[in-house]
Amino acid sequence: MSERAIPSDSGQLLSVEAESRLFLRLRATIAWETLRSMLSNARLRLALVTLLSGIFWCSLYGLFGEAFSFLDALHAEVISLLFNAFFSSLMIMLIFSTGILTYGGMYRCPESHLLLTLPARAEGIFSHKFHEAMWFSSWGFILLGSPMLVAYGVVRGSPWTYFLLLPFFMLSFVVIPATIGSICCMAMVAWLPRLRMHAFSAALTAACLGILWLGWTLLSSEQSQTLSGVWFEETLARLSITEQKLFPSWWLSSGLIESARRGPTEKESLASLFEALKFLALLISNGLLLQVIARWLARISYQLGYSQLVGEIPARCRRRPIGWFDRMLINAGSASGRPLRLLLVKDLRLFRRDISQWSQFVIFFGLLALYFLNLRSFNYSNAYASMIGFLNLAVVGLILSTFTTRFVFPMISLEGRRFWILGLLPVHRDQIVWSKFLFSFVGGLIPSCSLVLLSDFMLGIPPSLIIVHEVCCLMLCMGLSGIAVGLGAWMPNLKESSPLKISSGFGGTLSLVISSFYIMVIVIVAALPTHLFLASHALGPNAAGAKGFLVWAGSSQGMSASLAIVILIGMIATVLPLTVGLRAFRQLEP
Amino acid sequence: MIEFDHVTRTYGPKPAVTNLSLAIPRGELFALLGPNGAGKTTTIKILVGLLRPSRGAVRVCGFDLIQDPRSAHRHTGYVPDEPCLYDKLTGREFLWFIADMFGMARHIAEQRIAIEIEHFELSEFADDLAESYSLGMKQRLVFAAALLHNPDVLVLDEPMVGLDPRSVRIVKDLLKARTQEGMTVFMSTHTLAMAEEMADRVGIMVRGELRFLGTVAELREQMALETQSLEQLYLQLTSQRSPATLLPPHVAPSSQVPLGGA
Repeated sequence: MSERAIPSDSGQLLSVEAESRLFLRLRATIAWETLRSMLSNARLRLALVTLLSGIFWCSLYGLFGEAFSFLDALHAEVISLLFNAFFSSLMIMLIFSTGILTYGGMYRCPESHLLLTLPARAEGIFSHKFHEAMWFSSWGFILLGSPMLVAYGVVRGSPWTYFLLLPFFMLSFVVIPATIGSICCMAMVAWLPRLRMHAFSAALTAACLGILWLGWTLLSSEQSQTLSGVWFEETLARLSITEQKLFPSWWLSSGLIESARRGPTEKESLASLFEALKFLALLISNGLLLQVIARWLARISYQLGYSQLVGEIPARCRRRPIGWFDRMLINAGSASGRPLRLLLVKDLRLFRRDISQWSQFVIFFGLLALYFLNLRSFNYSNAYASMIGFLNLAVVGLILSTFTTRFVFPMISLEGRRFWILGLLPVHRDQIVWSKFLFSFVGGLIPSCSLVLLSDFMLGIPPSLIIVHEVCCLMLCMGLSGIAVGLGAWMPNLKESSPLKISSGFGGTLSLVISSFYIMVIVIVAALPTHLFLASHALGPNAAGAKGFLVWAGSSQGMSASLAIVILIGMIATVLPLTVGLRAFRQLEP
Repeated sequence: MIEFDHVTRTYGPKPAVTNLSLAIPRGELFALLGPNGAGKTTTIKILVGLLRPSRGAVRVCGFDLIQDPRSAHRHTGYVPDEPCLYDKLTGREFLWFIADMFGMARHIAEQRIAIEIEHFELSEFADDLAESYSLGMKQRLVFAAALLHNPDVLVLDEPMVGLDPRSVRIVKDLLKARTQEGMTVFMSTHTLAMAEEMADRVGIMVRGELRFLGTVAELREQMALETQSLEQLYLQLTSQRSPATLLPPHVAPSSQVPLGGA
């Protein structure tokens, strides 16, 4: 060990500016290193994310462009109403999401543990974590809002100043709900430590009920006149409750509309621009005021709140060692299958006790069910109903594939870390893999088939087609589970403890891509005969050349053939990855 | 340097630390011992400002941790039981971040970083991302970061966990050298041999109360068990059947221990 003399300087407390610069430098270094490691280790993922984001952005731009052209021609006055409805819903979502992210970042993150033991200001740490939370909660708004607003500007033929001011409008708006969310979070943690979960749940429930009520009133009234002029006017009247002049969403939409306006004369254009700048100033000044309040609150409450949370005794919820369902599952079947069932019950318990897993499951499938319940309002024709039915099947499959990639794919990797437990048990390695497959397959099958059934019922689809949809759904659940479990066993990441990081690696990305491709193939193969049958009807009796094949394809024989192909593809998609995964897992050396 | 003034901390109705009064002077290495759940980590978290006492006050170098936490932190270095680093920073970048956070002048920070990298033998991996470090490498880096600003008080929570024997030796030598230069060390440990070898004084905590405070020799003397090992003494003192306290009269748990120790 060296005995070099230690220079004597224990440093000095940093100024606010120096502290902010230091945090900024820290963020920039971490962001750069993350990008660099992605460029060297996860090029495929980065390329896919960029490509898909680009496609998504362009599609939205096209879609919004068409919508704005239509509205501009027919109902120009509704733009303001739609903007207000969109931005006010977004505002509520941003308040909640930033509040949750602030809680995670400021109170539950190991980084806070480090920062709080350094001579950093509480408000400096807040700002550092706030920027992170704001970015994570608002990137969706940027991805969704930017094509919409650019399309609006293009359709309206807005002056260049509109496009220049757009990012400033978006950023200054996002700061307001994000800061409100953070303020609520800090206040709840510091002064309602015992009630914070109740307070948060009550607020969230109120917001959800409000949105549901609005959605229900919009879709349930005058069902026979849906999308008619009367329905349109009623809908607009109901949406007008979002046009509150005290809401930042109103300032944003008014500012954007003013900024996009091109007056007949130079003077009127300038007046509109000036009006827009006034709204921008209003947004910025309110955002800054809220930031001052939030920093002051962080100064007086952060350490208090953190101390209360660190000092909390973990909730000791008494859980029955085996619930009736678990007991039934363990005891059902032969003794040789008992280890497999025990593993299955273990996974089921972990799932039940992990709120992040089942809450996402409930939210996504719940929203889908809500949409399916309202399908009847649209009164689709038979041809449309058939197409919508298959699209709904694809949507269910896509949502299921995100779950299998996010939660099922990392299961084997996470099990690998506990190999010292499993390795000593009298369990064959294959049983571990099979238990994951069964867990995913059965867990996905029940909600997916129910949703597809609900969709078909609301669309009034004939029973024969319902059977086709259900068989497809069965194959989707089986194949998606096989892909996620098989690839998860083939490419496990035993060093990583975070399921999110495991699923976002190469294996997870590959699993998602293959799953998406698989869904596409299954839905196209199953949907083809139906549409050929409809096409044969559309061509009429004179189209003799094509008629023979079209009629066969649309007949029960054609449908049976396509169903057989679907089953064959489903079996291959299940068996192939599972075989590869089982073989790799048997030879795995943890 | 460190003063606990009638500190009590409760978790709900359960007391984790009860009426702790303790003063540790400059240049002393103090070891806090106790079984699991005795309140050692709670005491350490209070000392570094992560937890607020329910009652009482804690001062570091005269700065109250509630009233003026930044000044207290400026004089403190902390090595937690679980090292926390930024995965996407290299060891050297992390040390620079800590040096900047303590407002160290650039040329001094540069020298100190070089010295600590040498002390803890970090040079081989100092420019690799922390995500690739083993537990021992992380722990050595955290030690280097804690000592970077040459703090007056060093707080260590189970400091030897994850370190190999060579690193343990380095840390021990370093702590001896630094305490001789006037640094105060507050350490919680389960390793009795280390406490016996290193500590000027030991405190034994049981169920949130300080049961003994003094040197190992005093412990042997008071228990009149000269031939017993420290392990036997410790087990006797921390057993459920032992008396409520074996503190000598001048260091009763509720009394303020004067600077200079027992």
